Amino acid sequence: MEVWRSKSFLVVAGLGVLLGGTTLAHDSPSLPRHTETVEEASGQAYGGYIGDRNFVISRGNGLHEFYFTRAIYSSWSRGYGRRGRGSWATDWPKADVQFLWGLKRLTNIDAYDFDNPVTLDNPDLRRYPFLYMLEVGAMQLTPPEVEGLRDYLTAGGFLFVDDFWGTYEWQVFEHEIYKVLPSHEIVELPLDHPLFSNFYVIEEILQVPNVGNGRSGYGTWEQDGYVPHVRAIFDDDGRLLVLINWNTDLGDAWEWAEDPWYPLTYSNFAYQMAVNAIIYAMSH
Amino acid sequence: MFEFFFKYSAYVYDKGEFVLAAGWPAIIATAVLAAIAIPVILRYSSVRGKSSRLDRSVLVTIRLCVLSIILFLLLQPSLAVSTAVPQENFVGIILDDSQSMQLTDYGDERLAPRSDFIHELFGNENSKLMMELNERFKPRFFRFSDSAERLEDLNELSYSGEQTRVGPALDFAHQELAAVPLSGLIIVTDGADNSIDGLSASLQSLRANSIPVFPVGVGMERFNRDIELTSVEAPTTVLAGSQVSADVVIEHKGFSGETVLLLVEGPDGIVGTQEVELPNQGDSTVVKAQFTTTREGPHLYSFRIAVQDDEMVRNNNQRDILIVVQDRQDKVLYVEGEPTNRTGFLRNFAIDDDPNLMLGVFMRMAENKFWRAGFESAEELAAGFPTTREELFQYKALIVGSFEADFFTTDQRQMIHDFVSQRGGSFLMLGGRNAFGEGGWQNTPVAEILPVELVPPFASAIDPFYVDVFVTPTLFGRTHPVTQMADSLELSLQHWQTLPPLGIVNQVGKVKPGAVSVLEGKTVNDETHVVLAYQRFGRGKALAFTPVNQWYWQMAFEIPLEDLTHETLWQQIFRWLVNEVPGQVTASTVVDRFAPGAPVTVTVGVLDDNFIEINNAAVTAIVTSPSGQTRGLELDWTVDTDGEYIATFIPDEEGFHQIHVWAGRDGKALGEDIAHVEIAKLSTEAFAAERRSALLARLAQETGGRLYSPENVASLPDDLRVSEGGTTVLEVKDLWDLPLIFMLLVALVGTEWSYRKVRGLA
Repeated sequence: MEVWRSKSFLVVAGLGVLLGGTTLAHDSPSLPRHTETVEEASGQAYGGYIGDRNFVISRGNGLHEFYFTRAIYSSWSRGYGRRGRGSWATDWPKADVQFLWGLKRLTNIDAYDFDNPVTLDNPDLRRYPFLYMLEVGAMQLTPPEVEGLRDYLTAGGFLFVDDFWGTYEWQVFEHEIYKVLPSHEIVELPLDHPLFSNFYVIEEILQVPNVGNGRSGYGTWEQDGYVPHVRAIFDDDGRLLVLINWNTDLGDAWEWAEDPWYPLTYSNFAYQMAVNAIIYAMSH
Repeated sequence: MFEFFFKYSAYVYDKGEFVLAAGWPAIIATAVLAAIAIPVILRYSSVRGKSSRLDRSVLVTIRLCVLSIILFLLLQPSLAVSTAVPQENFVGIILDDSQSMQLTDYGDERLAPRSDFIHELFGNENSKLMMELNERFKPRFFRFSDSAERLEDLNELSYSGEQTRVGPALDFAHQELAAVPLSGLIIVTDGADNSIDGLSASLQSLRANSIPVFPVGVGMERFNRDIELTSVEAPTTVLAGSQVSADVVIEHKGFSGETVLLLVEGPDGIVGTQEVELPNQGDSTVVKAQFTTTREGPHLYSFRIAVQDDEMVRNNNQRDILIVVQDRQDKVLYVEGEPTNRTGFLRNFAIDDDPNLMLGVFMRMAENKFWRAGFESAEELAAGFPTTREELFQYKALIVGSFEADFFTTDQRQMIHDFVSQRGGSFLMLGGRNAFGEGGWQNTPVAEILPVELVPPFASAIDPFYVDVFVTPTLFGRTHPVTQMADSLELSLQHWQTLPPLGIVNQVGKVKPGAVSVLEGKTVNDETHVVLAYQRFGRGKALAFTPVNQWYWQMAFEIPLEDLTHETLWQQIFRWLVNEVPGQVTASTVVDRFAPGAPVTVTVGVLDDNFIEINNAAVTAIVTSPSGQTRGLELDWTVDTDGEYIATFIPDEEGFHQIHVWAGRDGKALGEDIAHVEIAKLSTEAFAAERRSALLARLAQETGGRLYSPENVASLPDDLRVSEGGTTVLEVKDLWDLPLIFMLLVALVGTEWSYRKVRGLA
């Protein structure tokens, strides 16, 4: 069987051109859809920077097989969220939509074209078995969010964590995720795990810098996060529940993939990593 | 009654030929009648008096009738029949010695055993029947049950036989008396034949030799109160953990509207219970009994209803069947045209820990880029979807997900068709944007095997079709094994009502004629869509499952985390797919339980790698008895049927016997199979124990005999005399002195006298 080598394939060539003129609309005009505001969906917010809730969540109606679903969670930091929202909204929605463009070109996954943020305590979260969560170094989950995420993962959901750096943010994340999965262990995911070879063969974990560092070429790390890690949480039956990308920022690489100043190597790796994770989540 | 009026039995008239013994030509008789009739008519017509025209007509008619009868009697009406020469002919008397003859429904009070009838009539030399038989024939007695033999003394009858085999009994008696003139065979039985023998050959032989059979039926034709488990139908071989649905036919008399409890007991105790309301109209009902098999090996599963008050037969409320629970691993090929969530959920939740299924997944991730998992070796399907039948036919089931038809070559599409029709495999198409009509499967060989019609307009990416449907079992599906989600049918049905809707993206047509819908979905607008349907096609079966997101029943917020709907449904569908899919070599016996001493015939079907019958295979078997003793068998091609081989043996131990069969050709192994039989004392005599007059009537009709009951058996010796069997002479029996004719004359004369008296003409 043919296996595409990561270094031999330019993942995001032309993305910038494709993205030009995209309006990032949240809906397909031909399809019925449910609409709901963040405020309605999230119920009570907890101490953080939920920010402006007066916008529409994009929710699929089941027509598509895959929805790139972003977790809306409570946080004590605003992070780099758009227009003052919480850290969940970092890079949103451009990173999501731009990633989907690539995903649909690289695979034949029947993916919904647009972003799909959902709060953790929203029952409809269960409609989307793949969940993306980033900037978790500022995460501060409410009890309903803890319960919602725990049930989501127990029921069969898959969580992809990205874009948090250094010891302090790790400790915050670790503290929060253990509220969700208190009896589970976080382990390093070895490179011989099937996730690293089911679509692309990934032989090395690259540290993907944020857009500023990537453009400048000065360095790839943030805070004291010098070494990138891919860690995981498995359930008792060996099912991969949470994939943790620490000391790396895949989201920025998707978001700025069309930027001629952002190094192609990192965008390439970021796409490969996410595609592999999605394929793995859908097949295991 | 007939004999009272006509002097002889109807059977004598049937056998005889009507003749006029006076020998006058008919024209002379007619002339004589006319010579008498015309003057009478003229005389009456010329009479003038107080009689009217009507009076004269009535009286002349009566007179003419009387004259006609007298004239008819002068012609000496007679019956010419061939009668047996006294003491020149033999008669075989075959007595039923089976257990059912112990049933107590004989006599005026219906409290005496059926066997009393035998002893009263045939065991007593002074009985009128035996005296007449002895006077005219040389009787020879036989007994029969599962076998037949000569009987010297009726006290040897024990009524303990475990089977009633009428055909072999007739054959035996016929053979024993083949060298002597035989007037007929009398068989005294309830007719409750419970053998697998056919009667046709036996009756044909008797008919060819002009030997009539005179059955004497004993026992009630319909019990007053009784419940019987008439039959139980269930798969004979299943995978461990399979949900089994058994069809239990319950027959009752006198229990209309009453509710009874049906119990199913397996090797580890009660595995299922079900309340059954016995029907008001009709005697029988079919009940679906559900249970789960667990322990590997051949096991008896008992189905029983507690004995009720006043039941006629107390030991026909239980049926035992043999189910072989296998711990084999069956290979299933699942090809998916795009990454889908259901792939992961099926692998992870439905069959992840199932040691009996090997699910090989072949999934297209991108154009010409595939992902494989779950195969036996790295080489398996390394080149893609099978390109030879041999490669595809190694699987027992094939599942095709959202894959467009054009991906497959013409030959591959035909191979999928042949996989079902020829190989006997199971095929399942799952819903998806490239499945069914949306995938261009119409007008392909695969469309032929699908249980649903593929009719335009098909949805497309430009004009997508999507509906949410609430899924429930159809009327048929409520009792189907795959839909069982709880311990009882009612709870299972209630559970289905609680499930959230699933999405369908395919517009499929109706279920084809002959196919069956198991699950259906209803939209909020009450539109109905096919969810799960299937049909038998050739040797195999094909299923269609239309929803795209069945995984949602694993994830859904509305469903508790501990709920196993998704797992249960798919484990049951997978088992349904692989259960009873034949291999290249299949061993079977006509029944799986035999009485001790009964011959067991093993039938083996042998197919080559392309599942085509072959007649030059070397087929051997080793039979292992319960004590571990083995014996070898060489099986021979039957010649009548391609690819079919048989051998017969007689087990010498009670208990489970394993029959392990191997087949090969030209030194190459073709396959093997294992069958099991249980040798045990069977209680078959308790079932269908009512007198079966239809079967007994057939014995008589097809051989020229007559059926009797205890009430009319007295005429048997007379009938036997004219049976035309054995050494006979022609005998002419007078009919002029028939009581009926005398009564007719008296009636006519009396009528005339009464008429005259009433009309004042006397």
